[in-house]
Amino acid sequence: MGKISLNKIYKISEDVVAREVAGEFIIIPITSGIGDMEDEIFTLNGTGRAIWDKLDGNKNLREIAKALVSDFKGSPGEIEKDVAGLAGELLKRRILIEVK
Amino acid sequence: MKSNSMRGPFITSMPLPDFPLWEKMKNKKSLISFDLELTARCNNNCRHCYINLPANDNKAQEKELPIYELQRVINQAVDLGALWCLITGGEPLLREDFFDIYLYLRKKGLLVSVFTNATLIAKEHIKFFRKYPPRALEVTVYGVTRETYERVTRKPGSFDAFMQGLEALLQGGIKVRLKAMALRSNVHELSQIAQFCRKRTKDYFRFDPFLHLRFDGNELRNEEIKSERLSAEEIVAIEQADFERSQALKNGCDKLINPEFVRYVGNHLFHCGTGTGSFAVSYDGLFRLCSSLWHRDCLYDLKKGTVTEALHDFIPKVRDMRSNRKEFLEKCRVCPIINLCIWCPAHAHLETGELDKPVEYFCPVARARAESLKDDFGSKEAPIPRKRVRLGRSGIGGG
Repeated sequence: MGKISLNKIYKISEDVVAREVAGEFIIIPITSGIGDMEDEIFTLNGTGRAIWDKLDGNKNLREIAKALVSDFKGSPGEIEKDVAGLAGELLKRRILIEVK
Repeated sequence: MKSNSMRGPFITSMPLPDFPLWEKMKNKKSLISFDLELTARCNNNCRHCYINLPANDNKAQEKELPIYELQRVINQAVDLGALWCLITGGEPLLREDFFDIYLYLRKKGLLVSVFTNATLIAKEHIKFFRKYPPRALEVTVYGVTRETYERVTRKPGSFDAFMQGLEALLQGGIKVRLKAMALRSNVHELSQIAQFCRKRTKDYFRFDPFLHLRFDGNELRNEEIKSERLSAEEIVAIEQADFERSQALKNGCDKLINPEFVRYVGNHLFHCGTGTGSFAVSYDGLFRLCSSLWHRDCLYDLKKGTVTEALHDFIPKVRDMRSNRKEFLEKCRVCPIINLCIWCPAHAHLETGELDKPVEYFCPVARARAESLKDDFGSKEAPIPRKRVRLGRSGIGGG
């Protein structure tokens, strides 16, 4: 697993399915090896969802952060840090993969 | 307009059983799960089985929903918010398209459990389930000796096939849950079965002493099932002998015995949660509110309609069904120990052909279970109905 970079492009792994159920945005692993525990399930809050929706495999993280600046309070630097933080969490769990 | 701050944690993860979503879904009365009976066919021929038809039953096979029909049902259930699917049968691994159906469910974002007898498990299943893990495979242990196991399954060679399949699953790291049915043919071995199961799956074991009658009403098979039923006293004895089950009954007895029920006024048939949060689909596409509910007025053909119509239009009609049968209104409807009884309209129909008739076998069982709990009922006197119920012609279950 490579290091997170704002200049890299990432996409959602085909080994997970994201769904909205009962008002919660959840990520369900399809294959083994996603996450750290057996029987693990993930949920994103509203901000996480906003970042997730932009992880389309076309824009790099810096571009994604820039697109979110108009929607969220905080300096561009803070938003870049948050976007990179979530991407790092997702990458660590193999929910996100780098587009080469 | 910038309305929000970015606030973490953006992602939360936890083991599935701890997930608060379940409570949220229950409170919202959302659709949570559904059962897909892929086939009624089975390679075993268990004495107590409520559904099995021979593995080579061509007529039954022809009636099975093809994968494209199943996909239509699955898509509708997912659109309605379902999160969990139980694949059952018969023996679902008999379906040649089992892998395709399972994978389709997983790729739609459903958690999937599978009921199987494990006798057909091969290397390809292990490889597949390792890659695409199920929530669990639930396997019934009919006996831990060849003699007992095959007395139940009536299939020579099934014990070895079961042991090989189970070991392959466990060695392959597939999550397996073991369970047992307690019946006349294996009750002598029940404690060994429990030991066998708990040794292999530490977090889970349950047994069920309540044998349901056939979904297809087959009279000959129903007589066989009745002859396998344990008496009220035997059921209480095995429940008390099992520490976990007896503790669960003791801990829940305030809910299981409810004197307030006698004050209930009303004539609705359904007082369980049937049709809220889940449904079942038979191998030939019949929607039911629960797997045991087979009364003709409670069936909806999914080949002619949709899950949405069934949920929104059909279920409310079924749940509004009422009865003015005196026996029902004065007995089961107000029985303070109904929660210790397996009486419900679905089981009443399987036993008597009517949704609202009391079932003679059930009453002594419920009463014996209540008697066994009366010391745990606190200072209140357990309101156990005293009236004796005459046992049926077969005398089954009366002890």
